[in-house]
Amino acid sequence: MAVSTLYTTQALNSACSISTPAKTHVGFHQKQVVFYRRSSKRVGGGGSGVITCSAGDSQTVVIGLAADSGCGKSTFMRRLTSVFGGAAEPPKGGNPDSNTLISDTTTVICLDDYHSLDRTGRKEKGVTALDPRANDFDLMYEQVKALKSGIAVDKPIYNHVTGLLDPPELIKPPKILVIEGLHPMFDDRVRDLLDFSIYLDISNEVKFAWKIQRDMAERGHSLESIKASIEARKPDFDAYIDPQKQYADAVIEVLPTQLIPDDNEGKVLRVRLIMKEGVENFSPVYLFDEGSTISWIPCGRKLTCSYPGIKFHYGPDTYFGNEVSILEMDGQFDRLDELIYVESHLSNISTKFYGEVTQQMLKHADFPGSNNGTGLFQTIVGLKIRDLYEQITSSKAAAPLEATKA
Amino acid sequence: MATLSSLSFLTTRAVANVPLPDSKNGCLVKVLPYLNQPWKRVSQLGCGRMQVVRAAPDRISEKVEKSIKEAQEACSDDPVSGECVAAWDEVEELSAAASHARDQKKDSDPLENYCKDNPETDECRTYDN
Repeated sequence: MAVSTLYTTQALNSACSISTPAKTHVGFHQKQVVFYRRSSKRVGGGGSGVITCSAGDSQTVVIGLAADSGCGKSTFMRRLTSVFGGAAEPPKGGNPDSNTLISDTTTVICLDDYHSLDRTGRKEKGVTALDPRANDFDLMYEQVKALKSGIAVDKPIYNHVTGLLDPPELIKPPKILVIEGLHPMFDDRVRDLLDFSIYLDISNEVKFAWKIQRDMAERGHSLESIKASIEARKPDFDAYIDPQKQYADAVIEVLPTQLIPDDNEGKVLRVRLIMKEGVENFSPVYLFDEGSTISWIPCGRKLTCSYPGIKFHYGPDTYFGNEVSILEMDGQFDRLDELIYVESHLSNISTKFYGEVTQQMLKHADFPGSNNGTGLFQTIVGLKIRDLYEQITSSKAAAPLEATKA
Repeated sequence: MATLSSLSFLTTRAVANVPLPDSKNGCLVKVLPYLNQPWKRVSQLGCGRMQVVRAAPDRISEKVEKSIKEAQEACSDDPVSGECVAAWDEVEELSAAASHARDQKKDSDPLENYCKDNPETDECRTYDN
């Protein structure tokens, strides 16, 4: 299990320090032992022996994603991991009911694993999973902090099928750690660890329509039971989950369309991407002219769209006291050329080549939301996160070079 | 609506009883490579033990149904009590688990699953030039 790698002295300078292994850790402490060879004549056994690096040179970027259950988090995760390349899968050989997804660069942790009360415990106390009393925020904070500093942890598993807490699984620090769940931004210590946070805000009508789509195929469910379930959870949701949106760097708000009067099918959606201004390493997407207010209907002479068409809006605004830029899309994409046309007019989308957004959307054309703003904005947020990751890693790599120059 | 749902129930039951050639059922995985090369017969083609494929959607579906009944009972006494709310939360959690299980089952292709773990076998080789 021990991997020994030989680094040149320059790379070692900032990240490693000669230290005694007195670091507190949670679970398994992974040490990287590097043999330090001085450039002077003395070969081997360069004096003080062993330098331990706590993998500080592989900075883990932590992203938080908050949403109620049944709100497209897993679709978002699949799009996000696809932007980074590779498919995210549950850990091989582990608990088959694990909620964790691992790809080459990304690890996705479901915060349900930090429930302090299992299903029977919650039933006895009469609390929902949304209630902070059902979650262990101390453990969440410690483990996310450990993963961020490059220490592997033993994370508990909450089994959604049985409703019990299963034995822990080992999570190694990845390049990008995504924590998704109900409370990523609830605890302020965890919130400070996040490099970027996203909140999926689904309006009540759309939530109802989506849950109907999801649950009507299940035996036992009826319209009344779905409605009762949403209503019963609403007080806890409004009290504990909803307030997190003020802290998010990006909010994807999904509302019913304004293009079709009295639409209650919920097929055409109006999606707003609310991006906070002044976030480090994140520059909001804009249309035509940054900071101005634009209303844009791409359908016309150059592009023909079918009913109900597409409508865009962009402008600055305030959201819970923060300066934000809002990019809004109402309508649906029917054809590939609509998508590429729209992409060519958006700015600051952090693509590496022309048509990357379209390519990503097409790659997952079977995912829900691939023909409307939800898929588009999720893909764009994925690209912005990739850009943020590259900026963070290049800035941390530049620091030791500056130290050697000085 | 009732007939439709019972129909889907029947089909999932039927599928669940057939041992699928997935990686959990080690017996058929051994047999699979020889299907293309019948001259290389496996001397002992029998499976020691028929592994039951975990019919996850079925089990979860039953749980969902049960939890809805329990929630309705809990709420008939007192609609705003903690028990009522916790019961509906459980319904929500199980419905989400059921829908994930449905999606996973929909995606899993036995050949793809086998080839992911054994790309060098004859069935899984790809010739791209």
